[in-house]
Parts: sequence; C-alpha cells; structure tokens
Amino acid sequence: MLTACFLIIPLVTAFIIGISPARAARWIGLLGGLATMGWGVVFAVLYPYWTEIPVEGGELAQYWPTKDAWNIVPLFGIDLELGVNSVSLLLVLLTCLFAPLTVTASFTAITERVKEFYIWLMILTASVLGVFIARDVITFYTCFEVSLIPGFFLVAIYGGPDRREASFKFFLYTFVGSIVMLAGLVYVVMRFAAYEGGWLPETNGGVNVWDIDALVTFARNFLSPGEQAWILLALMIGFAVKVPLWPLHTWLPLAHNQAPTAGSVNFAAVILKLGAYGVYRFVIPMVPEAVVEWAPFIGILAVIGIIYTALVCWAQTDIKKLIAYSSISHMGFCMIGLFALNPIGAQGGILYMLTHGLSSGALFICIGLMYERHHVKDLDRIGGLARRMPVWSFFMVFFTFVAVGLPGLAGFVSEFLCLMGTFVAASPTNGGYPGVLGPWYGIIAGSGLILGAIYMLYMVGRLLFGPERIPDHADDHDSHALPTDLNFREIATLVPIALVCLFIGLYPTPVLKALEPASEHLLAGYPAAVEAITAEAPAADGTLEQDGRSLTLVTKD
Amino acid sequence: MLSAIGTNLNAVLATAAGGGQTIPESIAPATRPEDLGWAGLILLLPAISAVLCGLYAALRIRNRLPGWTTVLALAGSFVTVCLLWSQHDPSQPVVIHLFDWIDFSWAEGGTFESVRANFALYVDDLTIFWMLFVTGLGTLIALYATEYMDEDRGKGYARFFGGVSLFLLAMSCLVMGDNLVLLYLGWEGVGLASYLLIGYYYTKPAAVDAAKKAFIMNRIGDLGLAIAIWLTWWNFGTLEYDGIFQAIDLYLPAAADGSLATTTMGAAPIGWSAHLIPWFLFVGAIGKSAQLPLFTWLPDAMEGPTPVSALIHAATMVTAGVYLVARMYPVFWLDKMAGGGALVAVAWVGGLTALVAATIAMKQYDMKRVLAYSTISQLGYMFLGLGVITSFGAAFHVFTHAFFKAMLFLCSGAVMHGLAGQLDLRKISGLRKEKGFGVVTWTMLIGSLFLAGFPFTAGFFSKDEILAQAFVQTGPGYTALGWIGIITAGMTAYYTFRVWFRVFGGSEVRIEPGPEHEGDPGHFHAHAPGWRINLVLLLLAAGCLLSISSGYFGVGKWIKGMVAHSSAAWGMPIHWDDTMPAFFGGDPHFTMYFVSGTFGLVGLAIAFYFHLWNRKAATSLEQALDRNPLTRWLPRALERKWYVDEIYNALFRLPTWLLARVCALFDRFIIDGALVGGFARIPLVLGRIFQPLQSGVLQGYAATMAGGVTLILAWVVWIWLGKGGG
Repeated sequence: MLTACFLIIPLVTAFIIGISPARAARWIGLLGGLATMGWGVVFAVLYPYWTEIPVEGGELAQYWPTKDAWNIVPLFGIDLELGVNSVSLLLVLLTCLFAPLTVTASFTAITERVKEFYIWLMILTASVLGVFIARDVITFYTCFEVSLIPGFFLVAIYGGPDRREASFKFFLYTFVGSIVMLAGLVYVVMRFAAYEGGWLPETNGGVNVWDIDALVTFARNFLSPGEQAWILLALMIGFAVKVPLWPLHTWLPLAHNQAPTAGSVNFAAVILKLGAYGVYRFVIPMVPEAVVEWAPFIGILAVIGIIYTALVCWAQTDIKKLIAYSSISHMGFCMIGLFALNPIGAQGGILYMLTHGLSSGALFICIGLMYERHHVKDLDRIGGLARRMPVWSFFMVFFTFVAVGLPGLAGFVSEFLCLMGTFVAASPTNGGYPGVLGPWYGIIAGSGLILGAIYMLYMVGRLLFGPERIPDHADDHDSHALPTDLNFREIATLVPIALVCLFIGLYPTPVLKALEPASEHLLAGYPAAVEAITAEAPAADGTLEQDGRSLTLVTKD
Repeated sequence: MLSAIGTNLNAVLATAAGGGQTIPESIAPATRPEDLGWAGLILLLPAISAVLCGLYAALRIRNRLPGWTTVLALAGSFVTVCLLWSQHDPSQPVVIHLFDWIDFSWAEGGTFESVRANFALYVDDLTIFWMLFVTGLGTLIALYATEYMDEDRGKGYARFFGGVSLFLLAMSCLVMGDNLVLLYLGWEGVGLASYLLIGYYYTKPAAVDAAKKAFIMNRIGDLGLAIAIWLTWWNFGTLEYDGIFQAIDLYLPAAADGSLATTTMGAAPIGWSAHLIPWFLFVGAIGKSAQLPLFTWLPDAMEGPTPVSALIHAATMVTAGVYLVARMYPVFWLDKMAGGGALVAVAWVGGLTALVAATIAMKQYDMKRVLAYSTISQLGYMFLGLGVITSFGAAFHVFTHAFFKAMLFLCSGAVMHGLAGQLDLRKISGLRKEKGFGVVTWTMLIGSLFLAGFPFTAGFFSKDEILAQAFVQTGPGYTALGWIGIITAGMTAYYTFRVWFRVFGGSEVRIEPGPEHEGDPGHFHAHAPGWRINLVLLLLAAGCLLSISSGYFGVGKWIKGMVAHSSAAWGMPIHWDDTMPAFFGGDPHFTMYFVSGTFGLVGLAIAFYFHLWNRKAATSLEQALDRNPLTRWLPRALERKWYVDEIYNALFRLPTWLLARVCALFDRFIIDGALVGGFARIPLVLGRIFQPLQSGVLQGYAATMAGGVTLILAWVVWIWLGKGGG
C-alpha cells in the first residue's frame, strides 16, 4: 500500500481538480504535486536503502523491500505488484521532484482549458511513477502505454503551431514500438509458463509468471541464444524509440518543440527515462548472451547518435529544438554506459538517467520562462538577454554547465563514469565482465564532450550575451504582468533543481553506494554469459527453485 | 682568467644551489594523519567567498564588500597554506581526507576493484610550492582588483569577485587533489572561471567569442586528460596519486633493465596502454597551458579584465599544465625508461611553442597581446625544461615567471585603466613623464628586465637552468632545442623592450585616449593609479628585487629543495650536480650565462635602437620590407599570428560547421522525411487500395497498428503452440 500511494496521490489530485472550479485547478495541482514530492521524500527517508544493503535470500539483493500485490486477473494469475529498489527509487524521486515544479512552471503559461491541463499532468505523473514501481509485466506495460495518452493530449491541445503532427507522430511512433516490445515480453512469459507448467500459482507451484524478476531469471538461464536475439530485437525496438536511440529519434525534436513547457519538461526529464529504465530492467539482465553479441552494434548506434545529434544541435536556431536534440545526444551517453556491461558503466548509465532529467528538465523550464515573456525562441531573433534578465541568466548558465558535464555539478559524475566504463571495458582490470566495447567507443563518444560544449556555449553566447536583440512586438503581448526578470514563484521552481544538481555533483556518494548492489545484480548474468559464448556451452542445466521471494537456479549436479 | 672566475663561481653555485641534494630512491607512501582536517580551509575559504559574492550580487550590494571579502578569504587561504607548510615533513607526503566524492567498488569473481576519487588532499612539497604562489599572488591581485574594478561597483563587481573566488577554489582543487579526477574537477573548474571572467564584458561580442573559444579549446585538451585518467585506471586500477606512484615504484627497476614489456602488475601486462598515459596527459597540458597547436585561445583571452589576465592567464592557471606533468612525472619517467618518447615530445612542443610565440609577439601592437604571446613563449620554456628532465628548472621558471609576468600585466592594466582602455603601442609614448605614473614606469622596467632575462635577474637564472639542461641532456635534437631556446631569449628581450621603450620611453608625452574615453580627445587627462594598485606593484617589484639581493642562490636552493621532495624528482636519477658534458669548453650552466646573456643584450640593444633611439629607422625598415615582394609576407604573417586562426577555421571549424548543416538536413529530409515518412506512407497506400473512399495518414497508421498487432499476436501464438506450451 505504501508504494501504491505513488499512484493514488496524483490520481486523487486529478479527480479533485476535475470536480473543483477551474480557477482552483493550479493550486490543487500544486498541492498534489507537493504531496507527491513529500511522499517521495518520506518514503526514501523511512526506508534506509541509502545506507544499508540487506542481503535477502542468499543473493545480494536487487532489493525490493516493499511489495504490494493484488490479484487482478485470476484466470491468468496476473498480480498487480508494486515495489521499488534503489534504481527505481532514484527515478521515482526524480519524477516526484518534477511533479510540483511542472505545475509552478505552468502557472501563468496555461490560460485555456486549465482544469484539463492539470488533470493530464497528474495522470502523466502517475503513469510514469507506475512504470518505475511496477514489479510485474502487466503493470509495467500498462503504465508504459498509458503515459502516452496524457502526453498526447498535452501536446495536441496546448502545443505550438505544429501540435497536431507532433502529437500524432509522438503517439504512433512510440506506440508501434511498444507493441513489438509487448510481443517480446509476452513470448517470454509464455515460455516461462510453459516451463513452470501453467499460468496459475496453484498449478505451477506458486510462481508468478508475470513477475519481472522471476521472468528475468528464467529468461537468462533457459532461452536459447537464437531466442535471446529475437527478444533483444523486440525489446530494443520498443525501448530504443523511447530513449531515443539513433535513428529512431525523429519524433522527439518535434514533440519536445511543440509541447507546452510542462510537457517538454516531463518528456525530457522522465518520459525518456522510461526507455532507459526498460533497458536496465529488461534488456540487459534478461538476454545476456544476445546483449554480448549485439552490444557493439548498439554501442555504434549510440556513438553515432552522440556525435550526429550534437552536430545537428549546432545547426539549430530554435532553442527548444536545440535542447531537444541535445537530449538525444545525452541519452547516447546513458546507453553506451549501460551497454559497456561493467559496473562503472552501469553506475554511470543509471545515474545518467537522473542527471539528464535534472539538466534538460531545468533547461526546458528556463526556456519556457523566457518564452512566456518574449514569445520568441528563435536564436536569430532574440539574444543578449543577460542585462535584462540577470537572475534568469544565472540559472541558464548554471544548467547549461550541468548539461555540459562540468565537474562539481550533477552531469559530470554520470557522464564521466559512462565514458570511463566504456573506455575500460576491454581492460584487464575489468575482471570477468565482457569487454565488448572499448577505447575507441570511449574516445569517439568522448568527442561528444567537445561538441557538447560547442553547441551549448553557442546557444548561451547568442541567447544571453552580446548586444541585446528583442523583437519589437514582444511587449505588445499580454505577458500576464510578469516582471522583466524572474519572480519568486519562478525562482522557487528552479532553485530545488539547482540544489539537487549541486548536491549530486559534490556528494554523489550515497547514491553511488545505493546503486552498487543494483549494478552488480544487473550484470550478474554476464560472466556466465561470456563463458557460455566462449565455450559454446548449452543452456543452463538445472531447475529454478523458489528461494524465499526470488527464484534461483539450482544446477543438477 | 675568465675560466678561473668561472670555476670559482660555479663551485659556489654548485654548493649553494642545493648541491649535494640527495634524491630519495623511491616515492614514500603517503600517511593519512587525522589531525590535519583544518587544511580543508584552503578550499573552504574561497568557496565561502564565492557563495557570499553570489549573495551580494543577488542583494545588489553597491559597496566594495565583495572585493574585501575575496581579499580576506584568499589571504586566509594563503595563511593556511603557510601553516600547512610549517607542519609538513618534506620527506613524507600526506593525504588529508575531507569527504567522499566518487567511491564505489565491486568484487566479481574474487577480484576486488574500485573506483575511488574523493575530496582528499595530497600534500608534498610540490603541492605547497604551487599553492604558496597561487594563493599569495591571488591575494595581491584581488587587492589590486578592488581598485581596478571600482567603476563596476553595483554592476559586475560582485560577479567579478565571485569568479575570482571560484577560480581560486578550482585551482586549489587542481593542485591539492589527491587523485586525477579531483584534478580534473579543478582543471575544468578553472576553465569555467576563465570562461566567466573572459566573458566579463558580456555585451562585447569579442569577449563572448573569446570566452567561448577558450572553453572549447580547453575542452579538447580536457578530453585528452580524461583519456589519460581512464588509461591510468586501466593500468593501475586506481586513480589516486599514492596508489599510482607506489605501483610505478614497483615497476621502475624492471623498466630500467628493459624487462618492462614482460612485467605484469596483478594480471595486467604493461604495454601500449601504459605508454599512452603520458601522451594523453600532455594533450591535456597543451590545452590548458596554451602550447602548440592549442595556443590561440590565450591571446584572445586578453578580452577579460586585466587582473584576470594577470592572475589566470599568466601567473597561475596556465601553469596547470606544467604542474600536471611535474606531478605525474613518474608516469613520464616510466615511459622513458621503457623506451617511450613522451618526454621528447614535451621538449619539442615546448621549444617550438617558445619560438613561434616569440616571433608573433615581435609584431603585435597591443600591449596585453604582446604579454600574452610572451606568456605562451615562457610556458614553452617550462615544457622544454620538463622535457629535458629538469623539473626543477621548470618549477623555478614557473615561480619567477608568475611574479614578473603578473607584475607586467598589472602595469599594463594600470596603463589601460589610466588611458581609458588604450593599449596600442603606436598611440602612447613618453608615459614615464606623465604625473603619477612613476611607480608603473619603474616596476614595468623591472618586470621587463626579468622577462628579458637580463643578467643576474631571477628570470635570467631560471631560464638558463632550462637552456643549459637542454645541452646537457642527451635526446633527439636536444642541442637544436637549446639553440632555439637561446635565439628565443634574444627575441624575448627585443619584444619586451619594444613595449617599454615605445610606451614609457620617448622625449615627450603623447597619448591618444582609448575607446572608453567619451568626449573631446584633446581634453584627455590620464588617470593615475591609486594607492592599492601602486602598493601591489611595489610589493611585487620588491619581491622580484629581493630574489636578486638575497641572491639566486637562496631562492634557487629553496625551490630545488621543494621540487626534490616531491613526485617531480623522487626516484629519478636527475643530474643535480653530476659531472656534465662541456658546452663551449666549460660547465654548461656557467657558459650559458654568457651565451644567453649576450643574446638577450643584443635583443635589448636592437629594441633600443629601433624603438627609442631612432624610431624612424623602424618605420623605414618596415617600408623596405613591404616594398620587396619577397619579404612582404613576413611582417604581415607575424601580425596575423602566422594565420593560425584562419588555418584552424578552414581546417576544423568550417568543415565541422558544414557537417553540422549536412547532418541537420539529413535528419530532416532523409531520416524523418524519407524513412519515417516512407514507413508512414505504406499503410496510406495500402489504405488507398483497400479503402478507396477513405484516405489520410491517420487511418493509415491505425491500419498498420491493427495489422501489426494481429500479425505479431498470431506469430506469438503460433510459436507458443509450436513449442507445445500450455
């Protein structure tokens, strides 16, 4: 029930907004967002994951201490299961952080169909949280897909001039991808059910075939290499669209660009993380042999994405589009870190989900605040704002340097670890992990550091510095009597993100410590997979046995 | 007779200048005392000052509070460094752990690995040596800036001092960090401070561009440093100096007898990956210390306020590359012992940079730009010193250079401040006769003498230490490098005194006010510097003079001792006072005094003739060169700095920019247009076939989805049945 609150609070808020008058909507939304954030903090503090790493069931636990389960479809044994481990808690906290901030960032920007807007925002938050706290395939997939609906409406109703095309492209592109992913998952579930002798716990000895962890344990031990490759393909089609991995990225710039501020923030900060989280949750632990085989290919796509989209960024004049493209480039770092298949890269890749969410979310908020004042986001038409808006400029420069990966700020730790993990993957100090990526990937992806500095400083240089350029009509628009520079509400929106960025940048230790067992667990199947591939050994010869809450492989001898 | 004096003097030098200094055979493992936590104040004070300056800016404070806060914090930092020095046992490096930063580990298959880079300080004499002049000069220059930036109070004053504090914080991390990642933090942190301060006048497009250029060029070097860090972990499994040095200690004997290739550490054979570490470290150093080919950002960095040029772009930040190489000298040494050529590259890059930058400096008209190129050139000397294995000479030159170059910049700042931003040599003359510029004139003269390597100044001795070593050390072309260095010394004297004779010499005062002057140029009155600027200049000049009067012996010996107790010397059979090969029939260090001294004096004499005695001759020489089509290119190429910026633009920036355009178009028309659009069109076409009455992309999408889902489900069910499931 404790974890279910992450769904209940935003949904109840959405309901209350629905039955309240429109002028109260934003305040209720703010309260709901704050409640979500508050619950996230309380939850994290109450459960001391950050300090202790309990060992559960003999296995260094991928630790799911709270588990809520409701049997919703008795026929197929489908349980609704919720719980968190350190990785999902990290992303839950990220989502919770942005829950109230997206509301405050929209306070004056949204003037029409206000109630609906905040309802969709709350549903979006709930569905994304649902993905992160899901422990079974059905909940995961349902929430994964449901998140498209509020995203679609946020763009389609409140977006820019091309909102129609953007929203449809976003919806269909990602939906088609997820269907393929679902097919892959259902296939594994059916194989699992067949192996265990049935769908229902009564017939198969108490195993929940929809449970992600059980499924993963089954898949990595009993799927043949051929099956693994197909599963990898199916899953990656779904998740790579969401990440997005080059060349499946073109829905993103359009959707980010056309979405209202809160929509762009949610897309960049949390929706993209659904893809990366899927890779972490399913792809890497589930099909190790196929991943070892195909990691170079995915690594090449990620590297191309990093360089190519960084170059595309440099050619943009639309600020929102530039930042949208930078997300693609940045998520390439995250992917390459995860597919480095060693603990350094895994730590970096997981942390990258958080830090990229912080920096790109904050940058979209900043741009939104500027857009509300000047109604222009074209670098050719606006610039030199530093003198007019010094406070806003400070935050802009701050988050730019978070995005660029300046040490001491959040972006650095994750980016550095991703690249380091990639670079040293083939080193002798890498131990038994597969060294499929290596120095060349690290060096070429590392040149993204230079390109990142080029396009971000190009943007900041034109937008903030130099002689002031503001379109004439800017002041004719009604700007809701906003002051020239930021007001208290807007500063209060940005300060929490800035503080988190600074904290993670200077003291990431608690997070890294908490991720330690998770990343080790993530890669647990890999030394064996390497052996299996080199020795061409047959699939595991043993049986899965219930061991406390989790399944473990017991070999026959 | 001469040689008799020489032998005597040399004997004195040998004993006084740390002769008989014994270098320990190996680097001592660091101890981790618990009671030195207060040393964290060195980092904390600038951090507090930076935060306070931010608050002042937010509260729009209009008084000098930000300036004095910074001065006090930096002075406190300096005092803390001195206290640490007094507590420090030179033979024993110390690690002071402040707090955890990046620290995690894993144990897979029984091997325990970790990535550890904490906020911890590695203190040996090299650290203290560097911190002494960084914080000391930082304090003085901040004091100077409280007056220099006065007109900006209420505008950018707090922002400026916030930047200076941030710089000192980052620089302290760079120098004091006990691991390469913390060094990287400082490395990029000083880059950030530099970016913010070069772009201080942010409405000026030139300043914004210069700031951007500095950060990006530094980033290229930073990538090299990052790769070196990854390679270090690759080879040694640690990122902390202590661990690296201890590992190398085990290795050096094997490297020396040629068996390194087969030696293993743990399970890892040492091979190409260990040889590459110094090369990539040096790429990082090239970026930060503005060496060939990444030097063009430094002259442009002069767009920043002059105190920044003095502190960051002359005295401290740009020496970070020298520090990096000196700190990681064991890695270079390991490479050399195993037959690698990284140190040769260091020497050659340094020597060539010294020469190229000096040629450019001879033909610049902007005082600060002349000084900027001279900084690049002098940094080249330092790398030459490191390359020819006199880490002492390099450190000595860093130290003397920091003082006289900071002084020169502060003098030119005072000129610029007083003449409404005028820095053009052609537009100022006879400034020594202007009222109130006495201190500036004579301190600038002292600085120029030091930079020119005038005999018996500290700059003379530190430069000669490096040049003589180039002739002593055997290596590919080292003798040629020595001659390049000597010729460069002559050019240095020429361009330095060209500035001084032009600006301060001349029989009458002639000043055209600079761009900041508003109103009638005829009614311009130079604005003489106030007490804080003069005080700082006098203090620096006194420091420089003191280094002569107490004798080269004292300072040199002290620095030699400091370097000897650090990773820049430990474990290496450096020729401190061994018998050396002869140079012109005498001891190289002694002969060098005469050779380089002569070249310096000749350069000075040429400058005197053309720029003070007979200025018309300079004009006619220029015209003569310009008339001859064979020589016409030379002065132009020098003035345009050998067209390096243009070449880089054509070779790198423009192609990358074009590639960016191509990628953007490719993304729009090929990936999104042809591929994605094409896929979206398939159902549209199918829809036209099956449902002629309806058309439209939407339905098409729906059809695909429905069809796709059906197909996939059918496929899944088929497989499921085929496998005999259920």
